[in-house]
Amino acid sequence: MATQTTEPASPARSTRPGGVRVALMFGLGTAALAAAVLLSLVMGARVTPPGEVIGALTGAGDEFTATVVESRYPRTVLGIMAGAALALAGTLMQGITRNPLADPGLLGVNAGAAAAVVTVTAVVGPTSVTGTVWAALPGAVLAGAAAYIVGTRGGEGGMVRLILAGAVISAVLNAYVQAVALSMPDSFDSYRYWVVGSLAGRGFDVFWAALPVILAGLLIALCVMGGLNGLALGRDAAVSLGVSTVWVQGGGLVAATLLAAGATAAVGPIAFVGLAVPHIVRAMVGVDFRLQVPFALVVGPTLLLVADVVGRTLLRPTELMVGVVTAFVGAPVLLYAIRRMRSTA
Amino acid sequence: MSDDASASVLAARSLTLGYGSDPVVHGVDLEIGAGEFTVVVGPNGCGKSTLLKAFGRVNRPMSGQVMLHGRDLRTRRTKAVARELALLPQSPVVPEGVTVRSLVERGRFAHHTLLRQWSPDDERAIGEALDLTGTTDLAEVPVASLSGGQRQRAWVAMVLAQDTGVLLLDEPTTYLDIAHQYDLLQLFARLHRGGRTVVAVLHDLAQAARFATRLVMMDGGRVVADGTPQEVVTSELVGDVFGLACDVVPDPRTGTPLVIPHEEPVAG
Amino acid sequence: MSRQSTLPSRSRSAPPAPETEHRPPRGVMVLRLGRALALPIRRRSLVVGVLIAVVVLVCAAATLTLGNLGVPLSQLPSVLTGGGEATDRFVLSRLRGPRLIVAVGVGAALGIAGALFQSVTRNPLGSPDVIGLAAGAGSGAAVAALLLPGVLPVPVGALLGAGLAIGLVALSTGTGLRHPGRLIVAGIGVAAMAQAFTHFVVAVLARDEATSLATYLNGSLTARDWEHAAVIWGALALSLPVLVYLAGPIRLGEMGDEISETLGVPAKSTRTAAILMSVVLSAAAVSVAGPIAFVALTAPQIARRLSGAGGPSLVLSAAVGALLLVCADLVVQQVPVGEGLPVGIVTMGLGGIYLGHLLIREWRKGSL
Repeated sequence: MATQTTEPASPARSTRPGGVRVALMFGLGTAALAAAVLLSLVMGARVTPPGEVIGALTGAGDEFTATVVESRYPRTVLGIMAGAALALAGTLMQGITRNPLADPGLLGVNAGAAAAVVTVTAVVGPTSVTGTVWAALPGAVLAGAAAYIVGTRGGEGGMVRLILAGAVISAVLNAYVQAVALSMPDSFDSYRYWVVGSLAGRGFDVFWAALPVILAGLLIALCVMGGLNGLALGRDAAVSLGVSTVWVQGGGLVAATLLAAGATAAVGPIAFVGLAVPHIVRAMVGVDFRLQVPFALVVGPTLLLVADVVGRTLLRPTELMVGVVTAFVGAPVLLYAIRRMRSTA
Repeated sequence: MSDDASASVLAARSLTLGYGSDPVVHGVDLEIGAGEFTVVVGPNGCGKSTLLKAFGRVNRPMSGQVMLHGRDLRTRRTKAVARELALLPQSPVVPEGVTVRSLVERGRFAHHTLLRQWSPDDERAIGEALDLTGTTDLAEVPVASLSGGQRQRAWVAMVLAQDTGVLLLDEPTTYLDIAHQYDLLQLFARLHRGGRTVVAVLHDLAQAARFATRLVMMDGGRVVADGTPQEVVTSELVGDVFGLACDVVPDPRTGTPLVIPHEEPVAG
Repeated sequence: MSRQSTLPSRSRSAPPAPETEHRPPRGVMVLRLGRALALPIRRRSLVVGVLIAVVVLVCAAATLTLGNLGVPLSQLPSVLTGGGEATDRFVLSRLRGPRLIVAVGVGAALGIAGALFQSVTRNPLGSPDVIGLAAGAGSGAAVAALLLPGVLPVPVGALLGAGLAIGLVALSTGTGLRHPGRLIVAGIGVAAMAQAFTHFVVAVLARDEATSLATYLNGSLTARDWEHAAVIWGALALSLPVLVYLAGPIRLGEMGDEISETLGVPAKSTRTAAILMSVVLSAAAVSVAGPIAFVALTAPQIARRLSGAGGPSLVLSAAVGALLLVCADLVVQQVPVGEGLPVGIVTMGLGGIYLGHLLIREWRKGSL
């Protein structure tokens, strides 16, 4: 009863499915994620039978298989991390802006990472993929922070300013990126390989570099997710319900920026995971953010890993980058969903 | 044209209207005679605004017809219709930076051709519209910066500039204070006396009864009563249609019916 | 607010002053030709239009005369009339002349396209690029560069790509081009696919090919000839009658479907026609210059502010679009840092500045 009265206006009440169903779905989601992880270790230029993979995992298999499977560890771990981070960032952005089309790229994170990548290559010459991560990470965080500071300057700004600030920073940085990339061949190379978005060719060092940023974002996200339910009713209603809108909005945006920056720096800009996962999750569990967040953390990685596996196997031996796959899977789903939109003007 | 046809300006013929596949108005037949001030009343969701919009050809009928001067609205060019009939919808969008005069000028669109977009008639109609609504002094003020009452007058001025014989008004007094409400209704009454046919949707039964020459009461997408205010505003009908137990007494000033609700708002 | 101040009593107000009758309101002139033609023209719009035209001419003269190959200003009149030195005539007729004419045409087309699109979608940040046109053109160009090098010219590929993208968007809305909200969502999806594909192609191509494709993808006016000029000006000329017809209806359409219908505008068909014209003009611009960023977005907004009429102005939008692109191209050709870069990078920077200006306006609004 006490919990009922603390959040009387939660919009989730009416649409929230029963506890058993939620638990069952979460179990299914986790199982799907486990299957995706296994698939990611099995599939590649050569298919390693699941039995051998498990043997290699438990240290019982032969050395060659162990090496092959181990070579798939980093991209699998990166896929889990980036998928979870992008999905959570998208959930936060859509919740805070109350715009179902918001995605983590809105704050200029992608453009900031790209600008850093071309700058570093232009200054120090060609770098490895890991090298671009170390550049992209601060670039993305700085661009996001700049958009946030500019967009919220002078107090209660509302979302229009924030989105404009993100657009300003993206436009200016993109012009810079194109100008540098087209004048410096090395920068052009590192840019074009990075911007397509891929899990391939990255080691554990990339994972360790991005992890602290993403963990920080996750922590903040967990703190604010309860308040997002109040915010969903609008600022005024949220204030009257006792939600600290400044903290929930500010914290949520900082978390989204950190999560998106970490993921984008590690694997490049990946379309649609941040946009689509919140919609899938809402269809599963309704609009309560305390349920959306854990589900996003499971659905996001599953989606990204499956997309990566598809990209690895579709055009074998050529590999299709995961960013291309997510776009070509996500977009048709979006196009299909439009037909269900109400036909109001 | 026969007397019969000219007497009926607007007519609904077994008109069924709705959004998507659900009908909101079911097979309504209604004739609006020339020179009438008809007010449509009814509870929320009874289909009165939907019916009015169909008269203004903003809603396409699911079945049935709307006739304007004996001709099906759908067979006529929208610009030609706009010279005979004007609709003031609820809460229209105010374009950014538009002054009152420029808004009222837009009412003249239907009278223009590609090459002839200015005539002395335009100036006369615009001047009259501004004058009648008391917005002449506001002509150069941006509409967006006006108060609610002033803004509604600017919209009315635009519709008047259209210079049509028929005026359709969809809850024109919503959001106005009571003085502004009566001011606007008196303006419509004067326009009616000047020869225009007026059809309005109103919520307030006392206002409806006071200004209308004819009241149409709707419920559940159908016309349930049609006649003079005295015939329509009765305690039985108000109890049936609105679910409000009440007495009806004559207005001490005008003699038109006034609804006095009972303390216990329960009825059948 | 007191009632007296808001509603001057009608009973006391004098009848309309006779001397104001039959005369257009302040600041408006009427262009007359006998009894058949009477078009009101706002004085301010006329002045602004003439000023922009003068500035465009100055920039055009600068484009033709500055730099190593520039035709000396004193020679310009004689070269323009077919005299002067052979080198100068070559520069004018083969190098800078067509490029300038293309820039004016593309800028005007983008300005009109943006004005139409923003007006009917009532979205000040809209342009046909929002519904996937530029991204589609990019992927079409990428296909031409990757799969059919030499067979399919890149501009034709871009045109096909743009057409395909818009077709896909129109199909997937289920309501064609009529419904702006759906169009924009569908545009996001189609643009994402197209862009991912383009990025993929840029990543797998050899560096030289990738560079030339990337240059095209930014929108460039380098080495444009009279054929390009004919395409864009042909598209403008063909769309002129429709634009003249649409100018009035789209202004009323900004007040919403109900009002515009009641004033005599068929709202839905007006919107479809406006979006269609917008797409056609942008597609023509894309096919001759590649996807040039932000001109379609900024030009109508600047035109709206300059005209002060609170409505879209197709003529001024075209003029501002032309001015923006000619200036940007002048920068690319003459400023040392920008030299050799595609003009689209400069317009992207200009777009950033414009958005920044909007942001500052939002700040002011908040602080007042």
